[in-house]
Amino acid sequence: MSQKIRVLVAKPGLDGHDRGALVVAQALRDEGMEVVYTGLRQTPAQIANAAIQEDVDCIGLSCLSGAHNELFPEVVRLLREQGADDILVIGGGVIPQEDIPYLKTQGIAEVFTPGTPTTVTAEYIRAHVKRKKTSFVQPPNKIAHIGIAVSSIDAALPFYTEQLGLTLLGRETVESEQVQIAFLAIGETRIELLEPLGPTSPIAKFMEKRGEGIHHIALDVDDIEERLVQLKANGVAVLNDTPKIGAHQAQIAFLHPKAAHGVLYELCQYPETKGENENE
Amino acid sequence: MSTQNFTEHYQKWQQQLKDRLEKSPERKSHFATSSEIEVDTVYVPETIDGAYMEKVGFPGEYPYTRGVQPNMYRGRLWTMRQYAGFGSAEETNQRFRYLLDQGQTGLSVAFDLPTQIGYDSDDPMATGEVGKVGVAIDSLEDMETLLAGIPLDKVSTSMTINAPASVLLAMYIAVGEKQGVPSHKLSGTVQNDILKEYIARGTYIYPPKPSMRLITDIFAYCAEHVPKWNTISISGYHIREAGSTAVQEVAFTLADGIAYVEAAIQAGLDIDRFAPQLSFFFNGHNHFFEEIAKFRAARRIWARMMRERYGAKNPKSWQFRVHTQTGGSTLTAQQPDNNIVRVTLQALAAVLGGTQSLHTNSRDEALALPTEESARIALRTQQIIAYESGVTDTVDPLAGSYYVEYLTDQIELKALEYMEKIEKMGGAVAAVEAGYMQREIHKQAYETQRKIESGEEVVVGMNSFKLENEPQPELLRVDPALGRKQKEKLQELRARRDNAAVEQTLSRLKAGAEGSDNLMPLILDCVRQYATIGEICGVLRSVFGEYRAI
Repeated sequence: MSQKIRVLVAKPGLDGHDRGALVVAQALRDEGMEVVYTGLRQTPAQIANAAIQEDVDCIGLSCLSGAHNELFPEVVRLLREQGADDILVIGGGVIPQEDIPYLKTQGIAEVFTPGTPTTVTAEYIRAHVKRKKTSFVQPPNKIAHIGIAVSSIDAALPFYTEQLGLTLLGRETVESEQVQIAFLAIGETRIELLEPLGPTSPIAKFMEKRGEGIHHIALDVDDIEERLVQLKANGVAVLNDTPKIGAHQAQIAFLHPKAAHGVLYELCQYPETKGENENE
Repeated sequence: MSTQNFTEHYQKWQQQLKDRLEKSPERKSHFATSSEIEVDTVYVPETIDGAYMEKVGFPGEYPYTRGVQPNMYRGRLWTMRQYAGFGSAEETNQRFRYLLDQGQTGLSVAFDLPTQIGYDSDDPMATGEVGKVGVAIDSLEDMETLLAGIPLDKVSTSMTINAPASVLLAMYIAVGEKQGVPSHKLSGTVQNDILKEYIARGTYIYPPKPSMRLITDIFAYCAEHVPKWNTISISGYHIREAGSTAVQEVAFTLADGIAYVEAAIQAGLDIDRFAPQLSFFFNGHNHFFEEIAKFRAARRIWARMMRERYGAKNPKSWQFRVHTQTGGSTLTAQQPDNNIVRVTLQALAAVLGGTQSLHTNSRDEALALPTEESARIALRTQQIIAYESGVTDTVDPLAGSYYVEYLTDQIELKALEYMEKIEKMGGAVAAVEAGYMQREIHKQAYETQRKIESGEEVVVGMNSFKLENEPQPELLRVDPALGRKQKEKLQELRARRDNAAVEQTLSRLKAGAEGSDNLMPLILDCVRQYATIGEICGVLRSVFGEYRAI
């Protein structure tokens, strides 16, 4: 089952300038999307039908002849008529700025004018496509824990236990990560204090750059393997291509902070259905 | 030949020029710099040797590296020909008259897309497109309006029309008849280059084979009846716009040229009968010296092809005559006034490359069709180069530059390699059908985009030297009611004309298309009866079928 974003790049109307459409199509493919190109001279009806048949998430319309005000809204209207208005419709070409507000009122989500880097278009599509209802991804169950880097667990613990009154659940050493961990219960979730065991530990490197502080947020998920496949297909950068074993025998994988606006996320899937708190 | 002989040859060339100038004097009685340094027609090496003669030679002589005229712009400046057309025939007619009043010397008609693809304005396929990128022409009546008050025996007109070129040429001839100007006095150009439509521009109608027939029919008809007409403008412009390099532009254009020559020879035409009416159309792009070298290399390749390979005897058959338009795709939507500077450099390169006519783009073309003010600045740019810069005072001023001659040789070499490859695929038609040129161009276009996005290629104002919150310039708007008005006009015409006569001429055209007669006279008959472009192309569609891109 492919979970790539599917895009229809279409040339409505009669204009034959398809350099832009072809370049965008190729760039979106390189960004990991599946792209269908209609070819020249498509009527709005042909475009709407192709989009539905191809089951795409997004239509990119390209027009350089000045007919955009007539042709783009017609595509959206036909999609709505056929109940396919969950498809994201964007446009590009020689389109004057003053036409863009009108196109937006007609359901064109965004218009990319000459000079737009293709990466901007790709980012926009990724952020705005409505994932299909058939998508298997469920949101994460809860925050599994918040990881906090400390130079010494012994030095940090009294604040958590004495000042905040949290309960220490236990300590564990994860050799693979060169780290010692202390677990503290807080409601449904936990705080993990992470102390590096040596200078090669990722936590030591983190602290070298940023000092002590919040290191990562862990999300409790199901189906971690499929989830990773899908995230990668959608162009989300990951640090681990496949899950590895972390504390409590959980399968874990980290996403790249650049994918999450500076936050390091860890996906955790615990053995069977047991939640982390019951796993003492 | 010895050096002595070459020197004699040069003296002979000078004498011929002198004789010629007695009959038609140059623009000025003498050319000099601000310091009163006398400027000569042409400068040559101190010793003229065989290598120079073979590669460079004298202007106006084989292999024409230095230009097709012996004294080039000293005699007559290039034709300043601004492509224009939008909305209705009335509006465009007004713009034409304005441009002629402003000192433009030739017309260049932009047609809207329905006209270019052979649809009437009321065809469902024309929705939203009527009058947008050019003027809407449905019938001879619109053409009469378009050219009203413009003397067709004095003004030359270039028409950017390809698949339906015969129809528009027929309409032009018919307007001439009504003005009392016989067809042999008409001068102008139809673009008529279908191969680059498949490759890069997209306004094709029929499949390659019948399209080539329509083209050779025009060659044959014009050789006899419209001898001053350029029957084709073999275009690298759109190939370059689609993303090709300068070398690919030269190679693909000349390969297309060869395909037309072969088709005409196969249709039984004598090379010297049609070749003098072939013309070319190049892009004026950014790399200043490469662009200059490109023109010089193309002239040399074409001259050699025509003389050595096809045995053309008439020197006019050897001449690569070229129209240039500055590169539209180099214009930025950001800080559009910067485009004036880009256009100036590109136009200057075309002039130093020896173009016969020139269109300079307007600064706002990345945003919309040009306003009257922008179009005027674009024309003024040419006038400044022509009248103020002094570059027109001597022929091919960059000849002998080590760099420019090297680039000229390299472009020739690399273009010939490409052309050989296309030859091996079975020629340009086969290469187009296999999608070869299309793929090569697309690869290059993507590469360029990558370079721009990575910043490796700097585009001033777009990926570097940017400006926040740019003011929005005034743009030209086409009257949104135009489509409706044009439809109404067309319906009135259909009610008014002699429909029986229309039917008759259309069915004769159908029979002709099924056979092998020259279609030009039959199309001319249809046009005279006010058959519409959609009706005429519809008949041909029914016989020839339509091309579907791979």
